[in-house]
Amino acid sequence: MTVDDQILESAAMRFEILKTALKDGATARLGRLGFAGRLPFDTPNFIGVTSRGALPHLTPDNVSKHLQVSGAYMALEDFIERPQAYSKRTPPIFETPMTAKHDTPLHRFTAMPPSGTTVLSARRLPAVQSPMGNTNASISVFTSTGFQVLTTNEYLSAVQTLRPDIAIPPADLTHSPITPNSKRALRMAERTDEWVVEWFSKLSADSRISTFAPVLPIAYSIQWEYISRLAEDCLPTSQLSGLAIYDPDLLPDLAEHCAALLPLPRLALSNPPTPHHILRHIALGIDVFTLPFINTMSDAGLALDFTFPPPPRPDGSSSSSSGSLLPLATDLSLPHSATSLTPLSLNCRCYACTSHHRAYIHHLLSAREMLGWTLLQIHNHAVVSAFFAGVRETLARGQEAFEVAAEQFTQIYEPEFPEGAAQRPRARGYQYKSVGGGEGKRNKPAWGKLEAKEKDGDSEGVKR
Amino acid sequence: MASNRTFTSPALTFELVARCSKTRARASILTLPHGTVNLPIFMPVATQASLKGLTPEQLESTGCRLCLNNTYHLGLKPGQEVLDAVGGAHKLQGWKHNILTDSGGFQMVSLLELANITEEGVRFLSPHDGSPMLLTPEHSMSLQNSIGSDIMMQLDDVLVTTSPDKARMREAMERSVRWLDRCIAAHKHPDRQNLFCIIQGGLDLDMRRECCREMLARDTPGIAIGGLSGGEAKDDFCKVVAACTELLPDLKPRYVMGIGYPEDLVVSVALGADMFDCVWPTRTARFGNAITKHGMLNMKREMYATDFGPIEEGCGCPCCRPIEEEGGMGITRAFVHHNAAKETVAAHLLTLHNVWYQLNLMRQAREAIIEDRFPAFVHEFFRTLYPDRDSYPSWAVTALRDVGIDLLDT
Ligand SMILES: [Zn+2]
Ligand SMILES: [Zn+2]
Repeated sequence: MTVDDQILESAAMRFEILKTALKDGATARLGRLGFAGRLPFDTPNFIGVTSRGALPHLTPDNVSKHLQVSGAYMALEDFIERPQAYSKRTPPIFETPMTAKHDTPLHRFTAMPPSGTTVLSARRLPAVQSPMGNTNASISVFTSTGFQVLTTNEYLSAVQTLRPDIAIPPADLTHSPITPNSKRALRMAERTDEWVVEWFSKLSADSRISTFAPVLPIAYSIQWEYISRLAEDCLPTSQLSGLAIYDPDLLPDLAEHCAALLPLPRLALSNPPTPHHILRHIALGIDVFTLPFINTMSDAGLALDFTFPPPPRPDGSSSSSSGSLLPLATDLSLPHSATSLTPLSLNCRCYACTSHHRAYIHHLLSAREMLGWTLLQIHNHAVVSAFFAGVRETLARGQEAFEVAAEQFTQIYEPEFPEGAAQRPRARGYQYKSVGGGEGKRNKPAWGKLEAKEKDGDSEGVKR
Repeated sequence: MASNRTFTSPALTFELVARCSKTRARASILTLPHGTVNLPIFMPVATQASLKGLTPEQLESTGCRLCLNNTYHLGLKPGQEVLDAVGGAHKLQGWKHNILTDSGGFQMVSLLELANITEEGVRFLSPHDGSPMLLTPEHSMSLQNSIGSDIMMQLDDVLVTTSPDKARMREAMERSVRWLDRCIAAHKHPDRQNLFCIIQGGLDLDMRRECCREMLARDTPGIAIGGLSGGEAKDDFCKVVAACTELLPDLKPRYVMGIGYPEDLVVSVALGADMFDCVWPTRTARFGNAITKHGMLNMKREMYATDFGPIEEGCGCPCCRPIEEEGGMGITRAFVHHNAAKETVAAHLLTLHNVWYQLNLMRQAREAIIEDRFPAFVHEFFRTLYPDRDSYPSWAVTALRDVGIDLLDT
């Protein structure tokens, strides 16, 4: 059963759900999301994750020329450090003038290509856990000069000054791999609720900033009051433009209990470690992803190598029980790439694959030349762009086609990325503290659930 | 085969386009196996077959048509076997334009304290495993043949110019001549790779002249002046360049090795040199330094934290051009400051700007020569670079006066 396209529109944002098999429910959906002055993009899709306002190793000309990435995630904590000698200064970014095409201070300061959508949040992705924790009116952030207190008011004022296209209100998050106990989780929900109420009461209505409210990575039953408020108070005033989902597994609950929120675009800030996770989250209804693993893979000397729909099994068989699985990435630092003149991955049309070859990347990694990471970033972003394009094409053929292809994907590719033997770039400071802080291996593969969820989807379809 | 404007050899054509009516500056077109390049030229150094984070496409966008690779480094990584398998350095790095390689000798002497020079070649301990190795003229040629560079340099016996040992200096000069003969004999592809000789002789002008005559007799398609940039006084440097260019034929390219400061380039052009290379513009970029017509600016300084102007006002590089212009990025000093030493992107941006600056400086010099207003260009260059005439370096004033430009005269 299909329904007509569903359109959510404001002066600042337009989100069109192009096709969905079901009227509601947690299910994959095709859409198109656009912000005033930016190039609209089709969803499901992803945006880049910046460090200090830059996509790592990529100058803005390379971003516009060689990436099909529609936007970038930025963290305020990357811009507000207090150098010891100038501890009283106003962070320079707040004084940024605009130009005709760099039409927000955030775009101008970071030289972000004007067509790209910006997302501003308080913390990096993934964020370093703070030993101080948050208070009732502030969160603890980690800048290049150390931990700092950021009040919710300061953050709101920063957002109003910088004018990102999408702003994520402050959320009381622990950034810890350990699940908070129910008392802490309840406080998280209460604080975030208060902060979001405060946010909407103070954010000027004509700001052209679209607010994507956080949905916390805690049980729905603990945050239902907060989420209900989003649906009942914030949505009708048109102040709420989207949801920032920290745990996509909450989407079925959301669909069940808060149908009013379903037309909102959903941005995942969940750090899925592999494309298997991405597929599962797409099936749950995520529209836009932030994928820190792309930057991590490039730094590790790994060239992503997966497509969607997946290729036929190399041995021609269809069952998962026979034959070996395909790796999700190639470690170009290994000797077998030393004289290989083939592209990084076979059918990739990116700049790195059409102008260069594995042997060059291998050499650059071995010589620790920075260009190696630049070319890997171009390629790895291209592979993920093509992956999402494939997802959308498949979805356009129907939910079932997507489900079948997603199932094949799990049977053809290895569950995890290879380790990567290459030396990483010289740690450029504080941000590398986040390594081991819970990113990557934390989430054990859980794509087995995909099947279960799809069955749920099917049964709902039958009910209707 | 030489007409009065053009010199042709199997893998190179040199065409003299214009000459400054006052100084020795010249504008010319050098045609190499991978296309033509306009001289005078600054050649950025892509040591390990990569220019510090710039894609070959970005390097091309600065107008660069001839860059350097270092033979010593490529010999270690990826190594000769890989170079042969891949089909040379152009193919390795995806660079469609020209490459010049050094002999590998200078790097050994400067990087490896334990290098020891005998008639046979340069002896050194392998940086890999400490085993004794030997770089001979034959081995250097073989490596450069594998690299496939458009311009190869002979292995020379390099000595710091300030060495007081006259006998050793003479030995080095004479040995360099003998090694050129061995290089010529060992060079496998004279039809598609050019071998340049290197003039040695320290700061002794007579020895330099003697070396010029010996080297010229070997009739290489191009000539380099070597052994400079090793800490000698700038006055001495200029005297050596001037003494050599005086003897060199008009219709061959003249390459002064290891030169890169803007004022050195401008003075050397006035003295009749055509080609320069230096790691400084790209190295200094990684320390946060921007080369501008007003001098070097360190973007790490706090004063740039809230400076929302371009790296250099009026610069035509992709970083400095406003976003409103086609191909411009609209980078601010504040953004470079923000990421200097923190994200590689800041270094990439400064590298792009600095390389563009150096290439553009030589483009402007060339235009000035062609329009016969080079002396005015030199005046303007120094006026912009220094706050007043009293701060002009005396070596530049002297060297330029000797070729007809009086910087102190308005
Ligand atoms: Zn590619
Ligand atoms: Zn510039």
